[in-house]
Amino acid sequence: MNDCPVLEVDSLGVHYGHHEALYDVSFQVGRGELIGVIGPNGSGKSSMFKAICGLVNHSGVVEVNGVHCHDHTDRMDLAYIPQRSDNDLNFPISVGELVLAGRRRFRHWWQRPTGHDRVVASQALARVQLSGAEDRALTELSGGQLQRAYLARALAQEASVVLLDESLSGVDQPTTAELFDVFESLAAEGTTLLVATHDLALARRRFSRCLAVNGTLRADGPPVDVLSAEVLDATFGSAGHRVVAD
Amino acid sequence: MSWLTDPFQLEAMQRALLATVITGVVAPVVGTWVILRRMANLGDAMAHGTLAGVGLAYAAGVNILLGAIGAGLVIAVLLLALSTNRRLGQETVIAVLGTAFFGLGVVVISRLDTGVELSHFLFGRVLTVTWGDIWLNLALGGVSVITVLVLFGELRLATFDHVQAEQVGVKVELVQAVLVILLAVVVVISLRTVGTVMSITMLVTPAATARLLSRTLRQMTLLGVVFGVGEGVAGLTLSYHLDSASGATIGLVAAVVFGVVFVVTLPKRMPHHHRPMG
Repeated sequence: MNDCPVLEVDSLGVHYGHHEALYDVSFQVGRGELIGVIGPNGSGKSSMFKAICGLVNHSGVVEVNGVHCHDHTDRMDLAYIPQRSDNDLNFPISVGELVLAGRRRFRHWWQRPTGHDRVVASQALARVQLSGAEDRALTELSGGQLQRAYLARALAQEASVVLLDESLSGVDQPTTAELFDVFESLAAEGTTLLVATHDLALARRRFSRCLAVNGTLRADGPPVDVLSAEVLDATFGSAGHRVVAD
Repeated sequence: MSWLTDPFQLEAMQRALLATVITGVVAPVVGTWVILRRMANLGDAMAHGTLAGVGLAYAAGVNILLGAIGAGLVIAVLLLALSTNRRLGQETVIAVLGTAFFGLGVVVISRLDTGVELSHFLFGRVLTVTWGDIWLNLALGGVSVITVLVLFGELRLATFDHVQAEQVGVKVELVQAVLVILLAVVVVISLRTVGTVMSITMLVTPAATARLLSRTLRQMTLLGVVFGVGEGVAGLTLSYHLDSASGATIGLVAAVVFGVVFVVTLPKRMPHHHRPMG
């Protein structure tokens, strides 16, 4: 990790009414890291991502590039790709318009996208192997192509940190491998990616660092340490140990 | 041909035609977003609820359009304030507000001794449109259309993915508030032409028909306007010849067109149920 963290989370906690979804989560992330966030359903992974993005009320501090989270502008340096089912795919929006949405952070509400915005959006699509898909409807994309389109939107946003929440669920293995190639090349260029996943075998193979979350941060380190029997028992119970052993 | 032109020899019908065209343009422009944001229930409650403002304005001798605007804004403010209650949910608050204001309107109007029937407010009385109404509708309609055009990108982002929209700086709640106010304005504009109850027809049906035929938001908006104006004028002409309530007739025409388009486009929509694999 570089000396200056891109993302710094200190004592993060999330409550929904009386339910404590997350407590006392602290970690730092450097530029260009590709991190897997593992944990069972309901463990607080999504809450953690939403809190980092400022989408839910939370305690603790989030800093992006050294800027405190209460300054809204720093949140724009984060791109959040939600779970696949969260958006209406029948909405009349083309792939090109979806990706251009990432450019909104660079202009005021009354301004239209510029020629430069369109060039950046087009380059982002090319980066995820979706060149020429600008005019296609979202319903015409496969699951893997859809995830690439969302990733292109995050690229167009030029965010320092990209948070992908269960984005690989339901995507077949070859497409997952292709997406990871894109993740790795982005990380090599300095973008930081946090990918929430249930797939422990994938986490072991493709990430250099993992965060195990279940109510709080159970472990943080290289997969070989985080995917140990002891940590998996604490995070998943016995089920996790079986999965990774497969 | 004279069947089409005869009704509009009368000056009252010319004013009615202008009012119908204004409604036909403005309602689908706003209605496009009402459909995409799944706010038709709110539109229905707003349509019914403005009757309270109409009744009170009538009782006070004020222009009923001003009364309707007042009621629409009060409903909008109450809705935004009360829907933050998580125990109830927005649908419940919408139903309570809509029926409460509608009840108030019915009680006030039924207690008035004006000789004007309740049905005139509910289903429109297009021949009573004055030039003052037309100018007011033109002003309100113009502001509404310009607002939607200016906020087009913000509406698209906030509607498709409000999480990402907030992330890139869109004021999602403000956009929602503006849309609720626009919805109230459309109900007011529709008041004379189709009445409070049927105003939801102009808001929803032309835009819903356009949704079946369009791939993009621009197409949907433009087609909605074409349907809105066409169905409004056709319904008005028919109501003249049938001596029927203009609002109900326009509503029927719009529903028939929707039905036909729905059936015709059914085979075209079927393949979209099967998403590509991978």
